[in-house]
Amino acid sequence: MSLILQTILDGLVLGGLYSLAAVGFSLIFGVMNVVNLTHGVIVLIGAYLAYAFWHGLGVDPLLAIPLVMAALFAFGYVYQRGLIQLAVDRSSLLASMLVTFGVALMLRNVLVLVFSPDFKSVTPSYAFTVFFLGPVTIDLVRLSALGASLVLLCVLAGVLRWTAVGRVIRATAQQDLAARLCGVDVRHVYGITFGVSAAFAGASGAIIGIVVPFSPPDEALWTINAFVVVTLGGVGSPSGALLGGLLLGLISTLTSQLIGPQFPNAMMFLILVVMLLLRPSGLLGNAFSGSR
Amino acid sequence: MRRFGRRDFVKTVGATAAAAGLVAAPAVRRADAQAKTIVFGGSVPLSGRAAETGLNVNNGYLMAIKYLNEEMGGVEIGGEKYKLELKMFDDASDPARATTLIQRQIDEGVDFFLGSFGSNIVLPTAAITERAKRPMVQSGGGSDQIFTQGFKYVFGMFPRASRQFISSVEFFKAMSPRPKSISVIFTNDAFSKTNAEGAAKDSKAAGFDVLEMYGLPEQITDVSSVLASVRSKTPDVLICTTHDQNSLLISRQMVATNTNVPLLYQTLGPQLATYRETLGKFATGICVQIYWDERAPYKDKFFGTAQKFAEYYRKHVQRPIAYHTAGGAACIVTYVQAMQAAKSIKTEPVRDALAATDVDTLYGRVKFTPEGDGDAILLGPAVGQVQKGVVQLVHPAAAKTGTLIYPTPKWSEKT
Repeated sequence: MSLILQTILDGLVLGGLYSLAAVGFSLIFGVMNVVNLTHGVIVLIGAYLAYAFWHGLGVDPLLAIPLVMAALFAFGYVYQRGLIQLAVDRSSLLASMLVTFGVALMLRNVLVLVFSPDFKSVTPSYAFTVFFLGPVTIDLVRLSALGASLVLLCVLAGVLRWTAVGRVIRATAQQDLAARLCGVDVRHVYGITFGVSAAFAGASGAIIGIVVPFSPPDEALWTINAFVVVTLGGVGSPSGALLGGLLLGLISTLTSQLIGPQFPNAMMFLILVVMLLLRPSGLLGNAFSGSR
Repeated sequence: MRRFGRRDFVKTVGATAAAAGLVAAPAVRRADAQAKTIVFGGSVPLSGRAAETGLNVNNGYLMAIKYLNEEMGGVEIGGEKYKLELKMFDDASDPARATTLIQRQIDEGVDFFLGSFGSNIVLPTAAITERAKRPMVQSGGGSDQIFTQGFKYVFGMFPRASRQFISSVEFFKAMSPRPKSISVIFTNDAFSKTNAEGAAKDSKAAGFDVLEMYGLPEQITDVSSVLASVRSKTPDVLICTTHDQNSLLISRQMVATNTNVPLLYQTLGPQLATYRETLGKFATGICVQIYWDERAPYKDKFFGTAQKFAEYYRKHVQRPIAYHTAGGAACIVTYVQAMQAAKSIKTEPVRDALAATDVDTLYGRVKFTPEGDGDAILLGPAVGQVQKGVVQLVHPAAAKTGTLIYPTPKWSEKT
């Protein structure tokens, strides 16, 4: 019984990470209908920035999250307005996918040049703290990662629901033409959406950096994970990403425990295929453009 | 008299330079014709997943070539002096890219190849060089499949993966108190899986109780469920036949979930300074396979000793030295000695000389099995244990630089 409890807890903690790492991907897909293949590398840039703050300046990685988010918001905005929008205007949405793929390859190599191909790891003073809840072992770093993920996802949900910027983003996601007719500068909104997505990807990277060692080639893993989370949970909303991420975490640990540790990936992709066949808009799928 | 103007000056200088060029050109060509060069080709991961160790292997190649060319003025083979040239390309840890690069070099006439890093890359590239009958000496692939397909031109510095645990099991047998049970964690890739199977087979044969074999996907982000199982069924020795990054993930998560075992034994990981720095005091007591140590009393025809190679390396490269670096350099040294023994730089005699190689090098005594992998006893791993942030050799007795700590303290008791 305690093994099952432990497995469920581990799954939820892992799921929290997956959720936060995927929410930016979900937002861009939902609002702009762009499959951002740069997503994983932005997550990693967040991890490397947190590493640089921690290693160079001694700033705790969790405290560095606002700085990482600010830097990546700026990067995301400029990236969207300077490159993605051009690709969409001049060619098609497919072109934007190819562009993001190319940029991901380039950024991955930039990370190799700047930080070397060696794996890095962020280990603040509390990195190895553990406590017990009855028979269940709890790793403080992973628990704080889950906490930070939930807080950030709630903040994003609040911003989208109650602020003027959030309303404009949601309106653009629902129908960009109508938003334009109401005087919304849709390109600016796209830029902001991309910036917000990059900021949240970066925040997740900062958290991931204290949980697992990372190196530039890991970017593909985080893009794929985000894709699966979005497919499971639904496009364009923090709640969809949260549900998808938690489910993916649970599927991963339960499969590992009950079927075998070799099979989480196989199960993940099996569920991905089943979801695409039965409910392509995800469990909390909505009428945003990306899910139509 | 006409003034010697700027235009005349340009004409004169131009004509003089052209004339000098005509005179000098044949001399340059003669110089080219006189310089005999042996080219070593291949690919190595300088980016991508395997780049960390790929860089170490490549640095070994570079340093050996630099030393032989610059410090020794080249090498003498069959009465003639040759310079050595390295033509390695970045395969980005991608087997498909590596095979394309190797095929292109074969088409361009490269005769001698060095290996990439990772069995998944070495295996397909070795198949290409084998078809073209060009020798490959490598220190990056240990998978059994490389050495059990009847290849005649591929030689490896490591024993094949299934034989890499022979010396480690001897170490387990020599431990006091002798451990009774063993569990193995591996990832689903050619090297790790074969290595794990070899570890389980040899351990069982030596009378150890193999409790569990935990297989994981090749790339992992979480091992909590495996560790929960390890906690409920704790072995005396937990073996991880994983690569560096995965090894660190496992040990980090073991600390963070308070998963204690009397001995954690990893094939790769703790040999890297990054790994030890990340874990800090928690790294103490973790054992690792060590194929080379600069303090070992190895003699080398060119460098003198392993120590001198390490000193030369450190004089030119800032990156910390690793055993893969020495393995890379040993590939070059072995090649050159085989060429000298064959008195030829033709591929067939050199292959035959490599097959008969039995020489002392900076990496130890190099001798290949009839299938081409390294002799399991001569080139098998020693065992190191992290003690105060440094890897000390604790097995075999002849190479010991430290005394084994066993059972290791619990994570919470480490200082």
